[in-house]
Amino acid sequence: MKELTISSDAPGERLFVLGNEAIARGAIEAGVQVAAAYPGTPSSEILETLAGVAKELDMYAEWSTNEKVAFEVALAASICGVRAMASMKHVGVNVAHDPLITAGYIGAKGGLVLVSADDPWAWSSQNEQDNRYIALQGYIPVLEPSSVQEAKDMMADAFKLSEEFRHLFMLRSVTRIGHARSDIVLGEISKERRKGQFTKDRTWLVYTPREARINKPLMLERFEKIKKRVNTLVYNQLKLADGARLGIVACGLSYSYALEAVKWLGIEDKVSILKIGTPNPLPEELVIKLLKSVKEILVVEELDPFVELHVKAIAGEHNIPVKIHGKDLVPVVGELSTRKVTEAIARLTKSKLPVDFAQLDKLEQETAPLLPWRPPALCPGCSHRASHYAIRVASRRVARDRGQEVEPIYPGDIGCYSLAYNPPQEAVDTTICMGGSFGIANGLARVVDAPIVAHLGDSTFFHAGIPPLINAVYNKANITMVIMDNSATAMTGFQPHPGTGYTAMGDETVQLKPEDIAKACGVKFVEVVDPFDLKKATETIEKAIRFDGPAVVVSRRLCAMIEQREKRKRKEKVIPYYIDQDKCNTKCNACIELLGCPAITKEDGKTVIDSSLCTGCGICAQICPYKAIIEEKE
Amino acid sequence: MTKEFNVLITGVGGQGVILMSELLGKSAVKDGLRVRGSEILGMAVRGGSVTSIIRIGDDVYGPLIPMGKCHALVAMEPSEALRNIAHLSKSSLVILNTAVTVPFTVSVGESSYPSLEEILGQLSKASGRIIQLDAVQIAQEAGSRLTTNIVMLGALFGTELPPIKVATIKESIRERFPAKAAPVNIKAFDLGYEACRQAL
Repeated sequence: MKELTISSDAPGERLFVLGNEAIARGAIEAGVQVAAAYPGTPSSEILETLAGVAKELDMYAEWSTNEKVAFEVALAASICGVRAMASMKHVGVNVAHDPLITAGYIGAKGGLVLVSADDPWAWSSQNEQDNRYIALQGYIPVLEPSSVQEAKDMMADAFKLSEEFRHLFMLRSVTRIGHARSDIVLGEISKERRKGQFTKDRTWLVYTPREARINKPLMLERFEKIKKRVNTLVYNQLKLADGARLGIVACGLSYSYALEAVKWLGIEDKVSILKIGTPNPLPEELVIKLLKSVKEILVVEELDPFVELHVKAIAGEHNIPVKIHGKDLVPVVGELSTRKVTEAIARLTKSKLPVDFAQLDKLEQETAPLLPWRPPALCPGCSHRASHYAIRVASRRVARDRGQEVEPIYPGDIGCYSLAYNPPQEAVDTTICMGGSFGIANGLARVVDAPIVAHLGDSTFFHAGIPPLINAVYNKANITMVIMDNSATAMTGFQPHPGTGYTAMGDETVQLKPEDIAKACGVKFVEVVDPFDLKKATETIEKAIRFDGPAVVVSRRLCAMIEQREKRKRKEKVIPYYIDQDKCNTKCNACIELLGCPAITKEDGKTVIDSSLCTGCGICAQICPYKAIIEEKE
Repeated sequence: MTKEFNVLITGVGGQGVILMSELLGKSAVKDGLRVRGSEILGMAVRGGSVTSIIRIGDDVYGPLIPMGKCHALVAMEPSEALRNIAHLSKSSLVILNTAVTVPFTVSVGESSYPSLEEILGQLSKASGRIIQLDAVQIAQEAGSRLTTNIVMLGALFGTELPPIKVATIKESIRERFPAKAAPVNIKAFDLGYEACRQAL
């Protein structure tokens, strides 16, 4: 028997998958022909999965330079009648926001689906924004799955619904859907492949004020039809319990917590539950039915009170006297859990809690002081560690020359290098958004006298670093921009990008160099250094900071994880370093305190290198004042 | 009807925690069981704490284990077991690899690492049973310290708690590794299984 995979056309078979693979599978079943994305946790595996099977399934998948471009690629395919999708993390949708809102006016021809992967508790993000509000603003209907299976089913259906209503749809995933694992039952794969056809239609596709005014009412009409349709969609389910006092409205993943909670409390026959699969627009008829049948409502949803607000509006509009709870009992910050939902329901039903949560909380609080702090850290052998070190040494030299009061500023960005904000490096002063390092540096240059050294990675540079670089040239901002080029989108799983020389589908392509782009943009100081040559790198960055005008240093060295992987493939041995205890001044600690390498630790007061972790980069040997760190003999 | 079984696997990035839950999930599906689970990937895992959850059963819906409902906590690192203490109850079982991974924050004096006695003392307040193994040493006996996670997986099956057949999980291990590495991993599984039987 052939092994079952994500692309097997085996309806009815069960497969164990990651949620993001399930979302990709839904798109495959719908016969998606164009998929575009920019990597971002928790969304990256969706396009990775599709790109891996794209050739076999006769479809196209790309890593776009950013989310805006990804969405535009998908929109164009849809306009030509082809099924298309774009996937991105929640903050990526901000980047795509501009075309997204007008896409609501355009609607869709070929099924068009945007996957927004929200990140409650901001596990891997700079904020926990709730993208249902973006959907509301853009009149974009939202499907929100309660399980991995439903994520697959909804994704497949979203393309059909998009074509039925000729409108763009959003699938809202969250971390605990995309990075959940589950068995799923596979559906049939559509083999239909369409040829894209562009029909010139100015009133539909050219947005001047006139077309905006023509198309907005048409969009509203489409949305009204969708509003009616969601009442009969299988993803919205009303289960009324006889004589129930309490009605629970549970949206998306929260429904699975609510189901477990009522079972845990043993009251599943005593409460009515409305499962919401379409928070925008809500199934109004079902909501009204529930509101009229109970005395109290609890809305359960992750992050903002989106469904709550709309349920309250419906109750008000229809004069239904029912008390509606939501964020007064369910946290607005972070992920929900069965425990949090159980507590909220127990309060309203005066049920006894199944577990003494307070006791567990007490135990957890009592345990907390015992726990060692284990923040994520740059890997052993990571080139960013060397780049950060060079930046700090160079900028402090310049600051020292400018006077005692001056402290260099390091605007940072989104990527592995942001981990250097942790001690001992503490080499990142701001992290706000993709490309934000260069942008913030532009502003700082107007108001402070300190050396400003901004840094971002190669993928981030292509994504959003070029406009603020041009801005620095145009407006003559005296800043230093370091591009930490490790030739990978490392944080999200080593996806290729315009600097890597190959595409998502594995084809070779041109390899863009950040230094060429910087020169072409008019930067007069552009140098490329190897951060593992610390002395040279530090001197070059110092020159860049002293340069009058915007300066760029590309600090280039392959990501250590890729390097190690390739070395293993080549059967090349890693030669680690060790510490000569006769030479080491155990009280010095410079290597530990300046580099924070996971391979260097203290053992019974001695400083030692864990040879199983050491990659042999030799950075510690370069900075050791006692020359005590030595390469092992082969 | 399969009774609910919740296992939380915890450790440090790079210890193979995710692989363990993948093997469990795949094997459960092979045995016709319903599986749910989740993990945190991305920024959180670079050398940081990792947890992965697998839940098996007909009445399991959510991706997270409800507080106090964890049947087995498999800890690849002692202090990481402690970090998940609130999931435990008197009926839960803890399988602890006693080999320590000290975070760099301890080396730079930003935090301190508790003694094994402190860890065990605290865990025993929450859990009814703790099984201690030096899984790294057992893995070395099997032939490679890289099989530490498979030793711990074997120990989990030694408790006879997972509703998955031992033959099925072994089949999944054989499929997952190249032919050359499979026997070492199977040996690691068996040694972990036996070590747990003896400790029980």
